[in-house]
Amino acid sequence: MDNKKISPELWEKVETEASQTEKITRKSLTYWQDAWRRLKKNKLAMFGLAVVILIVLFAMFGQHLTDWDYSSQTLKNANLPPKMDVYPVTEDKNVFVHREYTLFLVSDKGEIIERLEPTNGTLDIMQNKRRVYEVDGNEVVLDFSFIAAARLKDEVAEKSFELKVNDELVETTESTWNMTYLLGTDDLGRDLLARVRYGATISLQIALVATLVQFFVGVFYGAISGYAGGTVDNVMMRLVDIISTIPLLLYVILLMVVLGSGLSTIMLALGLVYWVRMARIVRGEVLSLKEQEFVMAAKTLGASTWRIISRHLVPNALGPIIVSLAMMIPSAIFTEAFLSFIGLGVPAPMASWGTLANDAVKALRSYPHQLMWPSLAISMTVLSFNFFGDGLRNALDPKLRR
Amino acid sequence: MGNYLVKRLFSMLITLWFVITITFFLMHSIPGGPFTREKELPPQVIEALNEKYHLDDPLYKQYFDYLKGVVTFDLGPSFVMTGVEVTELIRKGFPYSARMGGLAALIVLILGIPIGIISALKQNSIIDYIVTIIATIGVAVPGFVVATVYIYIFSSKLSLVPSFGLDGWKSYIGPVLALSFFSLAFVMRLMRSSMLEVLGADYIRTARAKGIPEPIVIFKHALKNAIIPIITYIGPMIAAILTGSFVIEKIFAIPGMGKYFVESVGNRDYTVLMGTTVFYAALVIVAILTVDVAYTLVDPRIKFGD
Repeated sequence: MDNKKISPELWEKVETEASQTEKITRKSLTYWQDAWRRLKKNKLAMFGLAVVILIVLFAMFGQHLTDWDYSSQTLKNANLPPKMDVYPVTEDKNVFVHREYTLFLVSDKGEIIERLEPTNGTLDIMQNKRRVYEVDGNEVVLDFSFIAAARLKDEVAEKSFELKVNDELVETTESTWNMTYLLGTDDLGRDLLARVRYGATISLQIALVATLVQFFVGVFYGAISGYAGGTVDNVMMRLVDIISTIPLLLYVILLMVVLGSGLSTIMLALGLVYWVRMARIVRGEVLSLKEQEFVMAAKTLGASTWRIISRHLVPNALGPIIVSLAMMIPSAIFTEAFLSFIGLGVPAPMASWGTLANDAVKALRSYPHQLMWPSLAISMTVLSFNFFGDGLRNALDPKLRR
Repeated sequence: MGNYLVKRLFSMLITLWFVITITFFLMHSIPGGPFTREKELPPQVIEALNEKYHLDDPLYKQYFDYLKGVVTFDLGPSFVMTGVEVTELIRKGFPYSARMGGLAALIVLILGIPIGIISALKQNSIIDYIVTIIATIGVAVPGFVVATVYIYIFSSKLSLVPSFGLDGWKSYIGPVLALSFFSLAFVMRLMRSSMLEVLGADYIRTARAKGIPEPIVIFKHALKNAIIPIITYIGPMIAAILTGSFVIEKIFAIPGMGKYFVESVGNRDYTVLMGTTVFYAALVIVAILTVDVAYTLVDPRIKFGD
């Protein structure tokens, strides 16, 4: 091989394009950007997120949808349904027959004008089982003697009442939506829309604060246990093992009995009892994270244990922690409803979805709508949180990262 | 094996002791005695009551007496219902709860597992979609809603079943349905996803490639591995059914243990509350131990030494 002389002409500048081919064209994404990108693709999770946002907005601004306050009672208007069968009396005035055989004057738009007072005496009402009313000069007679008459003959009544305007039988023409109380009223005449809205704030508050309490207890228990290692870890984890085999709801109930039921005690009891899962997750993360170089670097630089845990370990374990939090919220809503149902809920006149459902059960046979709204609210919220949480888990799972 | 059993039994005893201790001290930390009423009782009466129920003993003595009582299954007298022993309440109420809960657990397993398998085998079919929808809704609807809606439809509107009590097979349908609803949905979902995961594994492909008949691949190769998550869920499921029975028994007016428990919460009957809590906790802890032992028998990969 002879020494070939390299002439200066052979040296040529590389075109810029050639260096560009090696460059990564796709913008590099951070962990969170990547997770968000994947979450956005998951339609069900985005639907869940949208519903969650709607429910939160409803809880925050829903009071403008109704003129009523959650605690103002109008006993006259108790147990009104959201949808009413109305009977026409005059051009623009209809009447609605309540299940308690009282008559309400309803405008043709569906607004309740007033509860009518019968003009015949109590004796006549009791003996002939009919109420006589006067609407704009028309005589309206509500005859509800059929059930009693049929019972005497041991038959089943075909209809429960008959309505006569000026001695002429009228039939129901249409059913209108109750515009005064959009979702009806409860047994004390409180507007259910306002109650369900208020229940949303209470239920969401409980779920959120309980989740935060379990976050603090669980994260620090888990982080300390994982970071300390050795005997401390062993003892702390044996304790977690013991607690996790105990049916915890029993202890939420006991704590509530000890602390007395109320808004803050529910939050505290739920948070103080359900932190075990969180502690396990965080400990697992911390165990693997603490061996990494950045922790060693922090140690070398003289960072305190507290600083390493709170600034280095916990933020790096945030993915699984957030997933666990998203899953905790629906179960807290569920548990709160359960507690309210066995009489350990928020005290009246406060209302959560659970206490609303509990109140409605008494009158279920006659007024099923009262149970429907809070149950619907609970189910919708839990469902959408579940969808969102599932999506979040898939999005934050590094194994699924592409 | 023996070593493992001893170890587990020992940890179970510690857990039980832990439960009794927490329960005891929680109940004794309630401000005001159990006889604090709205109307103040004369001090002599309170003194007499305290002496009768040994509440004037020092706390540690009461604690050791209680421990001794639990071991001999003597949980003391009720504070509210005079002349009624807590043990007697448990003896009366437990058979109802056990029958109902046992049936619910059975339904969950014998319906949930096959439905989950079918749904996984027929992935993306109509059956699969229906199962997925039911399973998704099932975990979002509280048990008391299921129970009340059931009563509303089948007993108020259609008059097909009695709305309360537990006599005749018809009256079992509602409580068992409401009690098993959540867990059934959960098991269906769990079984489906676990089966799908296993069916995608390499050793299933190998088995199929070797020409093993499909039923054997599914039942012998896949199911054996896919069922393991279900077995781990049995413990929590028992706890869920048990606590679910509180509301279900209240709604259906069943004279079971849950009813006594809820009542004792309502009227602050501390000994009943304490006794039933300890009993429930012991039940779940023993159940979990049994399941864990069964688990090691099913899955040979778990070593007894650990």
